[in-house]
Amino acid sequence: MSMVTADHLHKTFGRFTAVKDVTFSIDKGEIVGFLGPNGAGKTTTMKMLTGYLPPTAGTASIAGCDIIDKPLEARRHLGYMPENVPLYDDLRVLEYLEYRARLKGICGKSVRKQLGEVIDKCGLEPKRKNLISTLSKGYRQRVGLADALLGNPDLLILDEPTNGLDPNQIRQIRELIRALAENHTVILSTHILSEVEMICNKVIIIDQGEIKAADTPENLTRGLRTAGRVSIEFKGDATPIVSELEAFEPVKKVITEELEDGWTGMLVRAEPGTDTREKAAAIISAHGYPVRHIYRQIPSLEDVFVEMTRHD
Amino acid sequence: MENKNDSIERTTSYFATLWTIFCKEFRGYLGVPFGWVLLGCTMALQGFILQAVLQIMTHATGNGVMYHMLDNMNFWFYFIFIFPLITMRCFAEEERQGTLEGLLTAPVTTTQIVLGKYFAAYSFYLLLWLPMLLYPLVSRIGNYYTEIRYGIQPDSAITYMLADWVGPYLILALSGAFFIALGILCSALSRSQIIAAILSTCLMIMYYFMGRVTELWGEFPAAPIFHYLSSTEQIKSFASGVIDTRPFVLYISLAIFTLALTKRLVDYRRWTR
Repeated sequence: MSMVTADHLHKTFGRFTAVKDVTFSIDKGEIVGFLGPNGAGKTTTMKMLTGYLPPTAGTASIAGCDIIDKPLEARRHLGYMPENVPLYDDLRVLEYLEYRARLKGICGKSVRKQLGEVIDKCGLEPKRKNLISTLSKGYRQRVGLADALLGNPDLLILDEPTNGLDPNQIRQIRELIRALAENHTVILSTHILSEVEMICNKVIIIDQGEIKAADTPENLTRGLRTAGRVSIEFKGDATPIVSELEAFEPVKKVITEELEDGWTGMLVRAEPGTDTREKAAAIISAHGYPVRHIYRQIPSLEDVFVEMTRHD
Repeated sequence: MENKNDSIERTTSYFATLWTIFCKEFRGYLGVPFGWVLLGCTMALQGFILQAVLQIMTHATGNGVMYHMLDNMNFWFYFIFIFPLITMRCFAEEERQGTLEGLLTAPVTTTQIVLGKYFAAYSFYLLLWLPMLLYPLVSRIGNYYTEIRYGIQPDSAITYMLADWVGPYLILALSGAFFIALGILCSALSRSQIIAAILSTCLMIMYYFMGRVTELWGEFPAAPIFHYLSSTEQIKSFASGVIDTRPFVLYISLAIFTLALTKRLVDYRRWTR
């Protein structure tokens, strides 16, 4: 069952088009990473999903509730953590969370129970009585996350949840999101690609308001140009090896360079998804040359990101 | 709700949410120094005016103390500024902090937000006038003291006569209902509290002068409109104990219109952001 469907979402600000005709769907239980350069339209798309920004054209639905026709029902399924986590500075953590819980329609004894739960999950126990204005960035972020978790919503939309945190805090938040994935659908945007690789099972890359790719990280990296590149360092005459390698089917091009210490460096470009290491090693050892390094590049999401979003 | 949410008690009551917003906003006045400073200053100014009023009342005028408190230039001096001060934060601050986004993405309607903020501001405004109810009590204590100290029994000028108090409080409540709504509208226009305050002060002063047009221009064919709008005249008639139904219609309908406009504006600003 699909939790979120975006149907030709379009947003213009005056003459500027922020999001162009974006369509995607997200299934229940998926953790989706929204990637894109600054100003690509990630935040705008997320804000449209939350119902905060009305789309210029198109629509979306959350858990089957249309965000335009049934905004309140759609929002009841939603926990949202906006970018930079705006909070009321003059409230205490507990007061703020209680206010938010009641706004979300939680009532009776559940309020206290829910507060205890999210405070526990987000590690806010030591700061529960502090004024929000005195909190550090990391704790503000956690308060925002706790707010999003109130009422156990089906869908969490987190706009840069780890922005401005230190590596330990990032790790904690990441663990938390991973734990949440068991019974929530999560959409998060971030610049940190390794983070997406670690926790997301679907990636949507968006650039200049358009979706460039939407797939699992594995599928995205598989078809990449850099996939299958092999770099080798050996000692000996490069010419016969190059010609023998280039005769081999998946190899497209071989580039060699003289290294400073008399060894030869070689870069073998091959079809994506192939492995030419074995063949190359066999050819070199048939000539009796020593090899000190052989490595097949594993393309990362960063490569995918750069390839999809660069404009040169 | 589905399986996993069964354990959480929920309400979709319109008024429960409205009450939540109201409580939070009302606490925003009294939970921080702002509200107390405003309350203290208003009380001090009311005290100063009372001092002047007591002077006037030494010549028997036949009117109660509240009549003189309100039919007074000094009263307008601070009355106009109360409204911008109470309302300037309402939407401007939410917008500046970015918290409006959290509010509007919660399952809450814009109308609930506008009404919650309005009733909180209005309640706080009403609170500002309550200390005046103590004047007769204080004056009675003064009389006892005089009696004990000097052995004379003074005639108290300030008494709890229903007719003296109902009219003035009614007109304060009525005009306040509209002026608070006006202030909230101005607050929704800008993300700067200062701009919101300047705007609503300006509108308040314009409205005040509309009521004095007939004093400057005399009577002319359109003059009844200005008489109808004149807060000064209404205050004078209510304070002297004449309760007219026309201001009820005027202020309540203006307040509803202004709040409806505010709701539209808050929604509209999301479209153009």
